[in-house]
Amino acid sequence: MTFVSDTVAVARNELYRFRRSRSAILISLFIIPLFFTFSLVAGSGGAVTSYSPTADIPIAFVDNDNTLASLRLLQTLASSKDFHRIIQSYNEQSAIAELGSKKIYAVIVVPKGFQNNLVNGNEARITLYTDDSEPGMSAQIDSTLTIYVQRFNGNLEFQPILTPLQESSTSGVEMLELGCLCGAFNIGLTVVLAVVQIFACFYEIAGGIAHQRETGTFARLLITPMQTGSIILGITIFDVVLSTIRTFIVLGLSMFVYGASPNTDLGTILILSLLIALVTMGLGFAVAAFRVGTRAVVIMEFFLVLFLFAFSGLWVDVELLVGITRIMAYILPFTYAYDALKRTILLGIPLLLLTTDLEVLVGSIIILFGLSYFLFHHSREKLAS
Amino acid sequence: MTWFLRQVTAVTVKELKQLRRDPVSLLLTILFPIMLISIFIALNAVFSAPSYNIAVGVVDLDNTPASKALMDRLATSSVVHVTEIYQDEEQAFAAVNNGQVVGSIIIPKGFGNALAQGQAFIITDTDNSKITSSGLILGELQAQSSDLLLKNTESGNQLGVKNLQVEVIWRPISGRPVTTGDPYLPGLLGMIILLGAFDDIVNAICRERERGTFPRLILTPTSLLAIYTGKMAATVVLTIIRTAVMLVILRATGMIIRGSIPLVFLTTALIATFTLSTGLVISSRIRSSATLTFLEIAMTFPLLYLAGVWSAPLMLDPTGKFISLSLPWTYGNDALRRIMFLGLGLNSPSVSGDLFILLASTLILLPVALVLSKRTM
Repeated sequence: MTFVSDTVAVARNELYRFRRSRSAILISLFIIPLFFTFSLVAGSGGAVTSYSPTADIPIAFVDNDNTLASLRLLQTLASSKDFHRIIQSYNEQSAIAELGSKKIYAVIVVPKGFQNNLVNGNEARITLYTDDSEPGMSAQIDSTLTIYVQRFNGNLEFQPILTPLQESSTSGVEMLELGCLCGAFNIGLTVVLAVVQIFACFYEIAGGIAHQRETGTFARLLITPMQTGSIILGITIFDVVLSTIRTFIVLGLSMFVYGASPNTDLGTILILSLLIALVTMGLGFAVAAFRVGTRAVVIMEFFLVLFLFAFSGLWVDVELLVGITRIMAYILPFTYAYDALKRTILLGIPLLLLTTDLEVLVGSIIILFGLSYFLFHHSREKLAS
Repeated sequence: MTWFLRQVTAVTVKELKQLRRDPVSLLLTILFPIMLISIFIALNAVFSAPSYNIAVGVVDLDNTPASKALMDRLATSSVVHVTEIYQDEEQAFAAVNNGQVVGSIIIPKGFGNALAQGQAFIITDTDNSKITSSGLILGELQAQSSDLLLKNTESGNQLGVKNLQVEVIWRPISGRPVTTGDPYLPGLLGMIILLGAFDDIVNAICRERERGTFPRLILTPTSLLAIYTGKMAATVVLTIIRTAVMLVILRATGMIIRGSIPLVFLTTALIATFTLSTGLVISSRIRSSATLTFLEIAMTFPLLYLAGVWSAPLMLDPTGKFISLSLPWTYGNDALRRIMFLGLGLNSPSVSGDLFILLASTLILLPVALVLSKRTM
């Protein structure tokens, strides 16, 4: 009974402390969730808005063929949703010389004999010069242009609108894709949910304890007759409450403002989000037991998030990692957490089917909290000094 | 003037000595660029790897020489690894759902006949939560089926079906291979300078305030202008060191730097000075060094997108584009790319324009930052 009341007392104390700190409330509940969600929107647009990444890029079109077919190619591109800023240019060399000046970013050159090749059934060619110093832009322009020209028919005034099936096929054999369509925003949402929890929870636990140690209040807490378990559990309960609020803030903003549509229910997302939070909290407690300072915690957090971004499937699919990086990915519990988050939110797979992910997550939480308890219990005196 | 310079030098030396004595800050200053670039190189190696082993399952419902030829091609592919051959679609779909394979490829009945007429299709079911892997599977399937169309000899006759009406020949102006991650590296250098400079200002102002040494410094006969100039000079010195370290690392990883090296240093120094001004403004509101460092780290990840490191600003959503083009760091990163990647110099309007925007933003923000910072002493 004392254990329960002590735990509740610690949780309540943490909440009171949190409520009194305006900057903690701002950072934990507003800045982190809103900052990351807005950044996702700024980067990929909302879930219901669609935009073409190539639409606003100024591209020069040089027609050296000057035939009906080349004119129709220009019309096809200029009237498409993907190339709003096609600029007709008459001199190939001067157009290419403009690349790198930020006035134009690509030049499409239709060579002489373009129409002849099409009429004679030969493969016609066009040349695309790009300013490849812009990250990701050249490849995007190339792939979008290929979609438009792959079935271009110089005999038709208006090109038939390609079905998504035709758009996705560049080989002449069509690909009927049955996989669930995952919008960029929904994919981003899974990253944001995971990163927000990892970011905030690690700082709140490890940083919170370090701050209390620096201000001397943690020493006072440790010299009370309270059990170590009560202290850890109390702080955990407090952070679970914050994590729940954060999950709802990110989800609410994503769903109701930006139109995200997760393929699973809110309960599943909340459970997974809290599991990620609990793994991070376990890690935070373990780190805090080593008497690190607040600034060191923040720096560790940076390296942790950077590491997780690279090796837990947040950025690169784990399947593509090789050698030691793949081994690291499979050791990290966050890899399984993120996998479960993606498979539920994006594919709609029921949580209970993800047994491996859940087992690893629950196991990691037990191990990390067990380790933290052990470390805290054995270094209680040192922590209080 | 000499007296002022002596004061500035004294403050600069003090700042550098303080950094040397603080192991955590030193770790962040030195280890951070190395760690960031190492992770990027590891990721870049993933994207430019010659082969992958992405698990796929295949169902051949056609059982013709054409479908067998496609199966053989997939079996010897360097991108996908056929782990299972299923009897029907249901098994294949279930395998994707269970996570046993990343994708399933179903060759439908009649594939061989349709292929001969150039009207074939293949059914795929990929785990699109693994967006890069599923994209690679589809790309490999496209490539193999395209090759099959051209080379397949059914009944001794080449099908010779043409893939595309018009082929696009892509020529990047830098003349560099299109698959390298080099266009991202100058932006990464910009981010490292940004974070380093922000951390310098956290050290120079907030930590000094927390230690209580700032009032003592002000009580000395050193002028306030000399104190701030000294602190900024220390950041510029550290920026030069960071840039030099990064250039050595980039060179060691195989990046060919084409432009003028002094211009690279000038650009990073401008990025650092602007960041310093921003840091001064923020530190006038947020007093705790830990909170400031936390904010710095939190803004790193969005800035990778919004400051033109991972994605060109013009390719962002309209809101993102607006934010990106409003950030002076975007112009700094852009200038670095144009100098280091394309080899452009100050005579190029794009580089001089970028540097002008960065300089103008600094000149506007710096006096405001100094006034605000002075008020909070």
